[in-house]
Amino acid sequence: MLLEMNDTVKRYRALTALDHLSLRIQPGETLGLLGPNGAGKTTAIRILTGLTKADAGELRLFGKNVGNKGGGAFPASVKRRIGLVPQDLALYETLSARENLEYFGKLYGIYGAELKKRVDETLEVLGLSDVGKKVPKKFSGGMKRRLNIGCAIIHKPELLILDEPTVGIDPQSRNHILDFVDEINRQGTTVLYTSHYMEEVERLCSRVCIMDAGRVIADGTVGQIAKSTIFEEMITLKIKEPSPSLTESIKKVQGVINCTLEGKKFTITSAVGSGNLPRILEVATPYTILGVSAQSATLEDVFLALTGKRLRDGMDGGEAS
Amino acid sequence: MTNLRQFSAVFIASFKYCWRNPVAVAVLTAFPILIIFVLGNALSSYMSPDYDFEPIPVAVAVAEESGLQIFLQNEEVLKFLDLTFTDAKTALELLENDDVTIIIEEGEDGKLIVTRPRTAGMNAQIATSVADSYMQTSKAMEYAIINSSDFHEITELMQILNADISVTETPLGKRVPSAIDYYAVTMLVMILLYTGMNGIELFNKSMFSETGERMLTAPVSKPVLISGLLSATTLTSYLQGLITFLFSYFVYGVYWGERIPLVLLTLFGVTLFSQAVCIFLLLLIKNHNAAMGAAQGIFWTSTFVAGGYVKIDFGAVQQVFDYSPNSLAHTVIFGAIFGGNESKMTFDLCLLFAYTAVMFVITFLLGKRRLA
Ligand SMILES: Nc1ncnc2c1ncn2[C@@H]1O[C@H](COP(=O)(O)OP(=O)(O)OP(=O)(O)O)[C@@H](O)[C@H]1O
Ligand SMILES: [Mg+2]
Repeated sequence: MLLEMNDTVKRYRALTALDHLSLRIQPGETLGLLGPNGAGKTTAIRILTGLTKADAGELRLFGKNVGNKGGGAFPASVKRRIGLVPQDLALYETLSARENLEYFGKLYGIYGAELKKRVDETLEVLGLSDVGKKVPKKFSGGMKRRLNIGCAIIHKPELLILDEPTVGIDPQSRNHILDFVDEINRQGTTVLYTSHYMEEVERLCSRVCIMDAGRVIADGTVGQIAKSTIFEEMITLKIKEPSPSLTESIKKVQGVINCTLEGKKFTITSAVGSGNLPRILEVATPYTILGVSAQSATLEDVFLALTGKRLRDGMDGGEAS
Repeated sequence: MTNLRQFSAVFIASFKYCWRNPVAVAVLTAFPILIIFVLGNALSSYMSPDYDFEPIPVAVAVAEESGLQIFLQNEEVLKFLDLTFTDAKTALELLENDDVTIIIEEGEDGKLIVTRPRTAGMNAQIATSVADSYMQTSKAMEYAIINSSDFHEITELMQILNADISVTETPLGKRVPSAIDYYAVTMLVMILLYTGMNGIELFNKSMFSETGERMLTAPVSKPVLISGLLSATTLTSYLQGLITFLFSYFVYGVYWGERIPLVLLTLFGVTLFSQAVCIFLLLLIKNHNAAMGAAQGIFWTSTFVAGGYVKIDFGAVQQVFDYSPNSLAHTVIFGAIFGGNESKMTFDLCLLFAYTAVMFVITFLLGKRRLA
C-alpha cells in the first residue's frame, strides 16, 4: 500500500471537516477523490502531505508511519517522493516559468545539467516551451495551471497529488492537463486526483472515492460504484415495424427488468452491469433497427442517488481567474 | 552541502522576487529619494525666486527675539509662510476661524508645539514641515554644539544658521548642518523601518500562502528556508536604504560625517529590527494586508514621535520613546556625524541590536506555534 490513511478526524471548532476518513492508494493507481464544495478533499490532502495536523487517525506513506505533526514536518525522505499541486496557484508571479521550475527543482536536490534537462522536459510536456522566459503574471489561466503542475513534477515524484487542477480554465488546457496526468500515470506515477467534475474522474481514474461531509460514501471503480448504488440502466431501441411479440422476447433476455413499447420506440430498463445489450440486439435482428441508445449511470447519478445532492451547485463553482 | 545549496536557491529566488515587486521598489527606494529632495530643499535657495507660491497663513506665538522667531523671519521661510505674530489665545481663535492653518508655539524646553486641526489639509502639512525643519536643523546643531568646546565657534555657527540655512562652510572648515542633513537621517531611518514590509510580503508568500504549502512540502529544512528568506529580504531592504544613502550623499550632498561605517552599521541594525517586527506582526495577525497596515501604523507613529516636533505630554512614557529603536538610531547616527558621547552611543547601538535579538526570539517562538 502506497498510502494508508486510517480513521482520520479533523475538526475546526464545531465543524467536523473529516469524519473518520479512511483512504488507501495502491502503487500505480489513479485514485479520484470526488466531492462537492466543503466535502473535505483539501483538508484530507493537507493532512496527508503533512501540512495540517489531524485530531485523530493514523497515516502511513510508502509503508512508513509518518506520525501526525503538521506544518510540513514529514521527513525529507518522504517529502521527496510526493508532489503536491495545491488547489490555488502556488507560483512566484514575478519569476519566469523557468525560474519557478528551477527553484523548486533545486529545493528537491536537482542541480546543474540534470536540472536544465528536467526544466526543458517539463516545459515541453506542459506545452510551455515558448513562454519559459516569461513571468506567470502574463500567462493565461490555463498556462498558470499547467505551470502549477510543472512545479510539482520537476522532481519526478512517486505520488502526485492534484487538488482540483483544472478549475476555471479553457477546454484546451484542461484536455492538455488530463492527457498529461494520464501519461504520467502510465509511466508509473501514482496519482491522487481531486475534482468535482465527474467526467474528469471517469476519464482518468482507475478507482474513485466519493466524499461528502468528511466521509467516504462510496469507493470502487466507476462501474462498481454505479452497480452498487444505481440498479437500473436504460436502453432505447427504435424499430421500423415493431410487433408486441418482440416486447415479450426482450423481456426474456437476462437482466431485463421491464420493456415498454410506444410507437416505434422500445424503452428497456435493465439491471446495471448486466451487459445484455448485445443479446437484446440479437433478439431484434429480424427487425429493421433504426437506432439504439444506452444510457449508463454516471457518477453524477450516483452522487445524486447517494446524497440527494448534486455534485456541483449551479455553475462551475470555481475561481474565476 | 545540501543545506548550503538549498540556502542559496532560496536566497537567490527570493532576492529576485523582492526586487521584481515594482510597488515595493518604488515606495521604498524612489519615494524616499524624492521626499528627501523635496523636504530637504524646501527651504534652500534651490527654489526659483519666481516660483508661484501663495504663502500659507500661520499663527506664531513665541517670545520675541527667540531663536525661532529669528528663524521664521528668514527670507526663505517667508516665501512659504505668511506669519501672524500673536499671543496663544488669539492664535487659537485664528485657527478656529480658519484664518491660519497651524499655530507654532515654543515649549519651555525649546521644543516646538504645532497645533493644527484634526482634518489638516495639504497646506497645514507644508507649514508643519517648515516648522519641523527648524527643529531638525536645531537638533542637528545641538549635536554639533554639545561637542564643541569653543564658544566662539558656537556663536559663529548660530549666526550662520540664523542668517542662511542653506549649505555653508564655516571659517573653521566645519560644515554647518542644514535641514537636509537632518531629513536625510530621519528619512533613511524611516524607510529602513518600512522596508520590513519586504519581509511581510516574502514570508507570507513563501510560508503561509499556497506557495508556502509548496515550500513546506519540499524537502528543505525550516532553518534553511527561514534563513534564506531572511537573508534575501534583509539584503534587499538594506540595499534599498543604501541606494537612498548614496543618493543623498552624492546627489544632494548630504553630510554624513567621517564615521560612515558606524552610520551604516546602525542603519543595518534598523533594517534587521524592522524585519523582526514585521515578521512578528505577520505571525501575530495572520493576515498579510492587516500586518502591512499595522507595520505602517507603528513605524509612522514612531517616526512622528521621534521627530520631536510634537510635544505630547507623555510624562514617564516620553522616556520610553527616548529608548525607542528609532530614537536610538538617531542618537548613534548624529553622534557619528557630529560627534557624541561615545559610551552613550555604544550603549544605544547595543540596545538597538538587543531589541532586534529579543524580537527575533519572540518571533521564532510564535512561529513555532503558528506552524504546528
Ligand atoms: N482552516 C480552516 N478553518 C476553519 N474551517 C476550515 C478550514 N479549512 C477548511 N475548513 C472547513 O472544512 C470543510 C472542508 O473544507 P475543504 O477545503 O477540505 O473542502 P473541499 O472538499 O476541498 O472543498 P472545495 O471543493 O471547495 O475545495 C469546509 O467546511 C471548510 O469550511
Ligand atoms: Mg478544496
